[in-house]
Amino acid sequence: MKDIAEQEVIDIGDMDVEAFNELAAEQGWSDGMPLYVPTEEKVAKFVETVRGDNRPYPPVPPRQIVPTLQSMAANAVMAGCKPEYFPVVAAALRSTLDPEFNLHGTLATTHSCAPMVMVSGPIRQELGINCGSNCFGQGWRSNATIGRALGLMLLNIAGAKPGEMDRSTQGNPAKYTFCFGENQEENPWTPYHVQRGFAATDNVVTVMSGEGPHNLNDHGSTTGDGLLTTFAGGMANPGANTIYGKGPMFVIIGPEHAATLKRDGFTIESIRDELYVRSRVHLSRISKGNLDTYESTGHKPEGDWLRIARNPQDIHITVAGGPGKHSAFIPSFGGTAVTCTRIG
Amino acid sequence: MRIFNPTFGMAAAGGPAVSLKPVNWATDAIALISNSKPNARELLEGMRERLGATRKIDNIEFHAKNSASQPAPKDLIEAVAKKYRAALLALGD
Repeated sequence: MKDIAEQEVIDIGDMDVEAFNELAAEQGWSDGMPLYVPTEEKVAKFVETVRGDNRPYPPVPPRQIVPTLQSMAANAVMAGCKPEYFPVVAAALRSTLDPEFNLHGTLATTHSCAPMVMVSGPIRQELGINCGSNCFGQGWRSNATIGRALGLMLLNIAGAKPGEMDRSTQGNPAKYTFCFGENQEENPWTPYHVQRGFAATDNVVTVMSGEGPHNLNDHGSTTGDGLLTTFAGGMANPGANTIYGKGPMFVIIGPEHAATLKRDGFTIESIRDELYVRSRVHLSRISKGNLDTYESTGHKPEGDWLRIARNPQDIHITVAGGPGKHSAFIPSFGGTAVTCTRIG
Repeated sequence: MRIFNPTFGMAAAGGPAVSLKPVNWATDAIALISNSKPNARELLEGMRERLGATRKIDNIEFHAKNSASQPAPKDLIEAVAKKYRAALLALGD
């Protein structure tokens, strides 16, 4: 008889949901929260939603196995997804498999990073993905379960078991789930997926291996220039990986801040340019030991400053959230890329 | 009740065939490779010194990835494979 790990389909007898959750915990399949049971019937409904996508999946690092649609769907079922969410989940996994994303590095690192999943296009409304108030938080099944499904796939298919292949020192709540929609309706500029070359009508998932959102609170500034001073100050963080492990980062601008910046004539490009110039850390805020490490790995200061980004293009900009004077900075792992995949 | 295994996958096809030959640790060339994090180099220096107590070490040489977070560059892997019979990796942190 095959070991349970080698069986595609497992007969678990008359097990109820509580007993299944015990089995899942024993097998290491769980993120710690209760799971739905991935029965053959449920998995078949999920797989049916992606029948039109025949592109093969590459081996998933670090475990280096090629997933089946059924094993991917089993994780989406366990996460609590509805079948119609599965094309988004499948596209998110495919996006992490772009070699530039560096999935092995992002899963095995001691850094706290977790995959940020952002959804763009009309599918946001079709699936009820929250793009507005509390978009990074709780309360929406699609946000909660799409992000959770990707996390479970990385645990079960990729093999990123905490303390084993996932070596994160402290982890991050986003490892449970981190999925939101762009607030395209209140974005006064170009939606992110269109910035990346997709059509406005395309449904696109964007992933980045990042930290959780760092708040950029500014209730006092009444000009775009003032807001950028606050944003740059919040981004100039000597503890962010991107100070030496250079890579991308997101600034997710709240709609009220976006309206102020737009009113004052700022564009996506000029915001990036300004933040690139202003988001730098003075050497007085960096220890000698850290500076030695940065310099020995090729990250030299410019005068008395270290920049947080390599170039303006490292700073990715979009709009999400609801009313209020807050925006968010999401630094990445560093050695990774922001990757986009069309859904379906 | 039957469920799908959430960990199931197929072995990747077409991987490179590797033929391993025994290493002669007393004489063969060895690459000492750092992941470029703090203390990896120091660990490798200690290993080279210890090996020097029992063998010649002029063919034991240091290498490093240019980023701890990225895979080793292909040209580094090829160069190590071509020149050495064994590689010892140090993961500093």
